[in-house]
Amino acid sequence: MEEHLAHGALWTIKEGFTYPNEYIYWTIHIVVYPYITGLVAGAFVLSSMYHVFGKEELKPVAKFSLVFSFALLLMATSPLMLHLTQVFNSINMILTPHFYSAIAAFTVVYLTYMAIVLAEIWFVFRPYIVEQAKEKKGLLGLLYNAMTLGSFDVSEKALQTDHKIIKILAAVGIPAAAFLHGYVGFIFGSVKTVPLWKTPLMPFIFLMSAIISGVSGCIVTYIVGMSLKRNFICGASIRSMCKVLVWFLVAAIVLEGIDIIFHAYTAEEFWSIMSELLFQRFAFKMLVVQWLIGMILPLILLLLPRLSMLRAFISATLVLIGVFTMRWDVVIGGQSMSKSLAGFLTYDMPIIPHNMESFLEGPIPITVLLIMPLVLLFIFNKVLPVFTEVFNEEDCGFTEGLLSGKDHAKH
Amino acid sequence: MSHAWRPVFVVLAVVAAIVVMRVILVPSDFTAKDGDYKYQWHRLSAEQVSKDFTVKHRGRDFCGQCHPNHIEKMKDSGHQNIQCENCHVMYEPAKKSHPINLKEDFGYLLNIGIDRSRELCKRCHAELSYRPKTYTSSKGTEKFKQIDPTKHNPGIECAMCHDVHSAGFKTAAK
Amino acid sequence: MSLSRRELLKMGLLAVCGTVIPLSALEILKPEAAASLIRPYSEHKRWAFVVDTTKCVGCGMCVKACKLENEIPFNIDVQRTWVERYVQLKNGDVLIDSPHGARNGYIKNDPQGKEINEAEVAKGIFVPKLCNQCEKPSCVQVCPVGATYKTSDGVVLVDKGWCIGCGYCINNCPYLARFFSPVTNTADKCTFCYHRITKGLNTACMDACAFGARKIGMLNDPNSEVAKIISTERVSVLKPEYGNEPQVFYIGLDAIVR
Ligand code: HEC
Ligand code: HEC
Ligand code: HEC
Ligand code: HEC
Repeated sequence: MEEHLAHGALWTIKEGFTYPNEYIYWTIHIVVYPYITGLVAGAFVLSSMYHVFGKEELKPVAKFSLVFSFALLLMATSPLMLHLTQVFNSINMILTPHFYSAIAAFTVVYLTYMAIVLAEIWFVFRPYIVEQAKEKKGLLGLLYNAMTLGSFDVSEKALQTDHKIIKILAAVGIPAAAFLHGYVGFIFGSVKTVPLWKTPLMPFIFLMSAIISGVSGCIVTYIVGMSLKRNFICGASIRSMCKVLVWFLVAAIVLEGIDIIFHAYTAEEFWSIMSELLFQRFAFKMLVVQWLIGMILPLILLLLPRLSMLRAFISATLVLIGVFTMRWDVVIGGQSMSKSLAGFLTYDMPIIPHNMESFLEGPIPITVLLIMPLVLLFIFNKVLPVFTEVFNEEDCGFTEGLLSGKDHAKH
Repeated sequence: MSHAWRPVFVVLAVVAAIVVMRVILVPSDFTAKDGDYKYQWHRLSAEQVSKDFTVKHRGRDFCGQCHPNHIEKMKDSGHQNIQCENCHVMYEPAKKSHPINLKEDFGYLLNIGIDRSRELCKRCHAELSYRPKTYTSSKGTEKFKQIDPTKHNPGIECAMCHDVHSAGFKTAAK
Repeated sequence: MSLSRRELLKMGLLAVCGTVIPLSALEILKPEAAASLIRPYSEHKRWAFVVDTTKCVGCGMCVKACKLENEIPFNIDVQRTWVERYVQLKNGDVLIDSPHGARNGYIKNDPQGKEINEAEVAKGIFVPKLCNQCEKPSCVQVCPVGATYKTSDGVVLVDKGWCIGCGYCINNCPYLARFFSPVTNTADKCTFCYHRITKGLNTACMDACAFGARKIGMLNDPNSEVAKIISTERVSVLKPEYGNEPQVFYIGLDAIVR
């Protein structure tokens, strides 16, 4: 007979006094879930920078980051599905939502955001879709025909309307994206039993880290994608993205710093165990990886003069690692402190699966899940010109001139 | 009408689909009872499910139907407040030894057997400095006697010497 | 080409409202729902529990009875009720444990598995715990689907057929009274033996306690012993700072109890 364990006992090591029913109930899936929604929000904000604020130099990444945001969004619910012990009941979220619960609004927020992103994608790619629908035959033709939603109007006037609507959608999408992720922060911030989570700053901390991870994700994917296709990489775009990254990095550092300083200064009941978490048990993950390697080092790298492509790439990669570690530290770290404040729970992920539960909780599904958005992006790129409308050297030089021109004008 | 409305129709269609699905799938008894949406938003029939759960421990009176002398024996003893089921319910079905099938005849689901281990008695009688030393019975507050299991006849089952039910000693006759 | 700030703000507001209103409008705008926010505390009769820690000897018979009564597999380390042991040594150290929820009782002076000489012990206390059936249960508040709820007589129950297993209620319970049932794989918790108390019986843990450390009864019922104790004796509750208004009242708690 198979050995039976309580849900959570397989990957929880208890030390000191922990309540008998206490396990790490939110595991790797809940680490990945805010990571993915964070990337969604960040990527979308980046694309809106071009559409709304007219940052011309971001044009080559605008379409790509929009579609990337969508690809990530499609995968955003899957870690939750893996997490639920009763997946088939998940429909109840729509059937009988209980809005006093912070997570009940998830479907509403998610679907609203999905509608905005999809609509924007539709308007952005409409001319191309219509063109393809007229040209292509067979299955692909059918697909494009369906994607036109029955409208073949690509007159000058129609395109002008499109343009206006895109701008509106992109503008509306920013608060929606911020809401989507700030809301994830709220889900954690409102858990009153976990001292590490319970702070009103949580939504904003999550939002800032979302944007830095999203922008970094776009920098990395853009550079890799262009290099793979042997396309020209526009330095102006990269530099512009890095500028955004720097600002939000500073905001993230300030917010997360305030949070810790506040806890240390007020030194409530839980500070003794929290400080043990911060400075001993999670010291490497939190201080070294999350703070030094994930935030401070990239900030310094980005602020050093004469930013090179390689340096931007390295910084962005470090930020991606740092933000993932931050999600880990928040989700796992928060639950590591026993609610008795007298013990610790250590998360020990089951690496080698020996039954369904250990497989689902292990690294395999989650790795697949993290790769899926890139696969989706690849597929979307087959259908829509996500990467094609990129700058050539000339365009890039032009925007670079524009940028420096602007800079001159300021002086 | 402008093409720009088409995505709106798609959204409306999705919303309509969700509303229709809700109408079909939400149980009719799902409401906020007493108007309390915060704490009482649920399927009313679920309450009945919790009420209908089978009662398993039936207490002294049930065992007393067939074991009246044990009840009598225990009535005035130190063990008067302890339920038969505390000592006689086995959590491992294999240890069940009750000669009469209580499940078939009475729908009684617990496994009755005999546990003669010292561990059973030690749960209450092992001496710990912080274990309460008094005990309330029908006679009022009494001393609760504890032994140090490492010194009190170690290795021998308590029931060898003690008559468990009367909380006294076994007569030599047995 | 850029929008004015004002326009942006307007759009932002619209978007936020647009996200929140559509579906919630179907349920949340009922006037009764709003009224439930200001309902005064416990006018009605409701179940409450008294635990007298001065009487508990830590035999764990209650844990055993509870597990068997409620079909929580005996050898799996989750339980609806459990007993904790707090031992303070003469050097000031506090050792706390609850091995397997104390389903096999405490038979040795070995807090946290360390054998301690009786002479070193300054004081000790056994604290039985169970769901506090809070008047304002945070676990119920956070259930996204209405799978857990408070009955009119104050008991918090789980609808196992409706639970999605997100674990949000488990993380929101300050008392760790909730867990995933190994049988149904849904959230599970103490029900005050709802199937027993609604039939006029006592809870399984109360019946199993030979020392009278556990009592259940109706609040606001002058005949109930529980109501008498709560209104005449000095009782306290666990973790009142969370604002859940727990309804399990303790006699003889100590500062070392968590
Ligand atoms: C239908 C009548 C009946 C009921 C009800 C009943 N018993 Fe028995 N029980 C018997 C009989 C008959 C025997 C065998 C004769 C004997 O040893 O006295 C027996 C034997 C036992 C034995 C000895 C088993 C052995 O292995 O030798 C125990 C212990 C016992 N009963 C406990 C209980 C307990 C505890 C209850 C209450 C939950 C209970 N019984 C309820 C009829 C009953
Ligand atoms: C403190 C634990 C304890 C309690 C309470 C208890 N028993 Fe027993 N019972 C025992 C033990 C131990 C034995 C085995 C005695 C022996 O081997 O001499 C036993 C044996 C028996 C037997 C087998 C015949 C005999 O007398 O040896 C019966 C029948 C029985 N018990 C019935 C009951 C009933 C009915 C009750 C409730 C009124 C009850 N017991 C309460 C521990 C207990
Ligand atoms: C649920 C707790 C509990 C368990 C289990 C228990 N007892 Fe007792 N026992 C008591 C209580 C309470 C008393 C009455 C107080 C007293 O006299 O110390 C008592 C009294 C006694 C006495 C009488 C002491 C005296 O001199 O008056 C003996 C002997 C005894 N128990 C033996 C046993 C044996 C043997 C077992 C194991 C089969 C056992 N008990 C299991 C609670 C328990
Ligand atoms: C070899 C026979 C024997 C065994 C085995 C035995 N006892 Fe005793 N027990 C006695 C005798 C004789 C006394 C009375 C003399 C005394 O106080 O030591 C006694 C007394 C007691 C008392 C009353 C102590 C007091 O302070 O008056 C308790 C309680 C008790 N036993 C429990 C147990 C428990 C529990 C076990 C099993 C762990 C056990 N006994 C095993 C023979 C035995």
